[in-house]
Amino acid sequence: MTTTQTKSAFLKYSHTIGICVMDGRGFMFPVDTAIGKEGRMHTVSRAYVPATAQLRITMYDIDSEYFGIYGGYGEGLGEFRWPTGMAADAEGNVYVSDEQNNRINIFSHEGDPIKHWGAAGTNEGQLMGPSGIAFDNEQNLVVADHLNNRIQKFSKDGTFIMSFGNSGEGDLKMPWGVCVGEDNSVYVADWANDRIAKYDSSGSFLRAFGTSGSGDGEFKNPSGVAVDGEGYIYVTDWGNERLVILDKDGNFIETLRGQATISKWADEYFEGNYEEAEPRSRSNLEPDAGQFGGDPHEESAHIEKFFWGPTSVKIDDSGRIYVTESNRHRVQIYKRTR
Amino acid sequence: MVTTSPNIKLMAHLLRRAGFGSTKEQLDEYLSVGYEKVVDGLIDDLDSSRINDALVRRYFPDQSVTHDTSGAGSYWLYRLVSTDSPLREKIALFWHNVFATGYTKVTNGKPMSDQLRMFRSHGLGKLDELLLKLSKDPAMIIWLDNVDNHDGAINENYGRELLELFSMGVGNYSEDDIKECSRAFTGWSIANSDYIKELAIRNSIMPYGKLAWRYEYKEDDHDDGEKTFLGRKGNFNGEEIIKIICEQPATARFISRHLYHFFVADEPPVPSWPYKDPQDMGAISILEKAYFDSGYDIGEMIRVLFKSDFFKSETCHYKKIKSPAELAGNVLRTTEEFGTPNIRISERNSQVTFMGQQLLNPPSVEGWHQGLEWIETGSLTERVNFASQHLGDLSKPGVRKIVGNVIAQAGDSMSAEECVDQCLSQLGAIQTSDYIHNTLIEFAEENGISDIDFLKDKNTAAQKISEVMSVVASVPEFQQS
Repeated sequence: MTTTQTKSAFLKYSHTIGICVMDGRGFMFPVDTAIGKEGRMHTVSRAYVPATAQLRITMYDIDSEYFGIYGGYGEGLGEFRWPTGMAADAEGNVYVSDEQNNRINIFSHEGDPIKHWGAAGTNEGQLMGPSGIAFDNEQNLVVADHLNNRIQKFSKDGTFIMSFGNSGEGDLKMPWGVCVGEDNSVYVADWANDRIAKYDSSGSFLRAFGTSGSGDGEFKNPSGVAVDGEGYIYVTDWGNERLVILDKDGNFIETLRGQATISKWADEYFEGNYEEAEPRSRSNLEPDAGQFGGDPHEESAHIEKFFWGPTSVKIDDSGRIYVTESNRHRVQIYKRTR
Repeated sequence: MVTTSPNIKLMAHLLRRAGFGSTKEQLDEYLSVGYEKVVDGLIDDLDSSRINDALVRRYFPDQSVTHDTSGAGSYWLYRLVSTDSPLREKIALFWHNVFATGYTKVTNGKPMSDQLRMFRSHGLGKLDELLLKLSKDPAMIIWLDNVDNHDGAINENYGRELLELFSMGVGNYSEDDIKECSRAFTGWSIANSDYIKELAIRNSIMPYGKLAWRYEYKEDDHDDGEKTFLGRKGNFNGEEIIKIICEQPATARFISRHLYHFFVADEPPVPSWPYKDPQDMGAISILEKAYFDSGYDIGEMIRVLFKSDFFKSETCHYKKIKSPAELAGNVLRTTEEFGTPNIRISERNSQVTFMGQQLLNPPSVEGWHQGLEWIETGSLTERVNFASQHLGDLSKPGVRKIVGNVIAQAGDSMSAEECVDQCLSQLGAIQTSDYIHNTLIEFAEENGISDIDFLKDKNTAAQKISEVMSVVASVPEFQQS
């Protein structure tokens, strides 16, 4: 049974950023967000094949100030076809993985393309569907090489360092999101195994959190994982359409289904579109979840404030939690209460 | 020409009609089960959720949301080419054509996808339950304006089409019956109807993508007064109207004729049915009896149909023209291009549109006219190119497998005729006319098949066989079902 708790003791809802638009300020099926230099946020919209012009990275800040877009569909410099994961390095450069072109794109803080690296294949150092990415404490890039069912670590310029996660207890199955703890340990959203796998900095498997299911401490196709300075683990439990928080030992803390409100960009849209704003004000966008047969996908489709397609979770330096939702074209932001 | 046993021909016929064709490998597997059991297995397979939706949604957020025809259509095409429960998808195609609902007015892919999911779940069940689901289906409520059907101010659109196109057919009810039927469905609406209508008109995706729709009964907008419908009197609501509709012999005839039209042989377009008798009245009578005997059960009607002599008769083999979706399903299942979801499914969905069938967007409430109307100059070229291009493409795993099977039969050489017969067999025991068969042999001969040393030059052999496959895909019998 799906937990539908929305009141949070551990996390407090802050606000929502985003709006679904085809171009410019807003998103179209966003899948990840990188928090770069000077608080600038970069969210990549995967868009979809017949609408490749809508694929882009949108730059903005916590106050919803918009700085422009960059990137686009293709195979050239600064282009991607299936962007999936994002990470910013210490200089503020933004790295974007591309599952179709099998490579990592690098952009400046301002969105200027710098270079890309990566080649398709199954050998060490080659990629088959690079998904989530994250920098470790030595500024090496950890990549979820999802169709090769492993994690690979590269230097920033793409030199292969190591691979792991494809044997024994730590054997991964289509991993998606990754993050790195303060001790350089690597956490992996082990998507098809319904768990979070943890490795030490040399790639040795340490332990796994969670089992298959939708109860407390259980996961269904987790997509993203983040760890804060105290070791709390935040998981976008994608198949259950929720955010799950565990403590550093894997003990369950709480679950959130989402509390989105109207974003600043959406508010501005409604100010100029009374024809939509007026009937919306008379609508019920929070129907009883019980009528959807216990299917979290349908519950989230109908209840607008719920997470729908939460594909990534990130934490900024001040401890804010950012959940990117592909199916709602927005980012929900939370803060810790303690 | 190799003589194909009647059992093989019959099983291949069933798999073309109940599914999307078969390769020799699949055919052999079904033959080992036996015809009657295969029919029962196809109908009784209640698991309509075998597709790995999580995998699709991970790669394609647009297919998770299905906010437009591209995502929703691509998702359905992926199901057609990857399901191991083909009759479920086939019955969804059937009802999608009978209860034709179009994106042009709905302007939201999710309710359309929800409707198809309902067809998969209930399309092989009882007609009265299906019509009840249909009457509560949000896409249908918008498509035929029941959202504007109010107590004291009826909108007849849904009431009319329920009788004319969805159950009884023209000539079996009066204009007054339409009005009374419409009164009974007042208040059958959707939640947030004013907002949804506005969003649909503006095709708006803001602020957070298109809204999901859900049925809502508005009791205070329902006309609870007495109605007279098909000679009966009562304070009918929609449920009673559907019950009365399903009791009518005209409904049995109409549904039987649709099933015959879809699964057995092309009938004339539906608008001419009031004026033209069914081509096989005996078959229709058998189906009508099955309709009443089973309590209006569509699955039971189809079971009777597939096990009947009129379906098994070779006189109806290859008498239907595959719809573009059926053709694409057949080709792409054979090529195995979509073992896992990939970015090309959207392009293939566009190709189905170019062949004349945009999934989730039929041309009108009458659906697509089938039969020869699938074939016109432009669409025929697209169909032939589509089948030839994909089945002749050695980069596709399914094509490589079939070509390998043909080579394995060759020894050190193979005559042109042997090669053609092997290709026809591998593509699902396709039977051609003598003229077509001889033409294919001529092509294979000119292509140098018989000159190849199959042991020494497997690459050339594979290339040449794939070229024969490409031509086989263009023959009329491959385009037919």
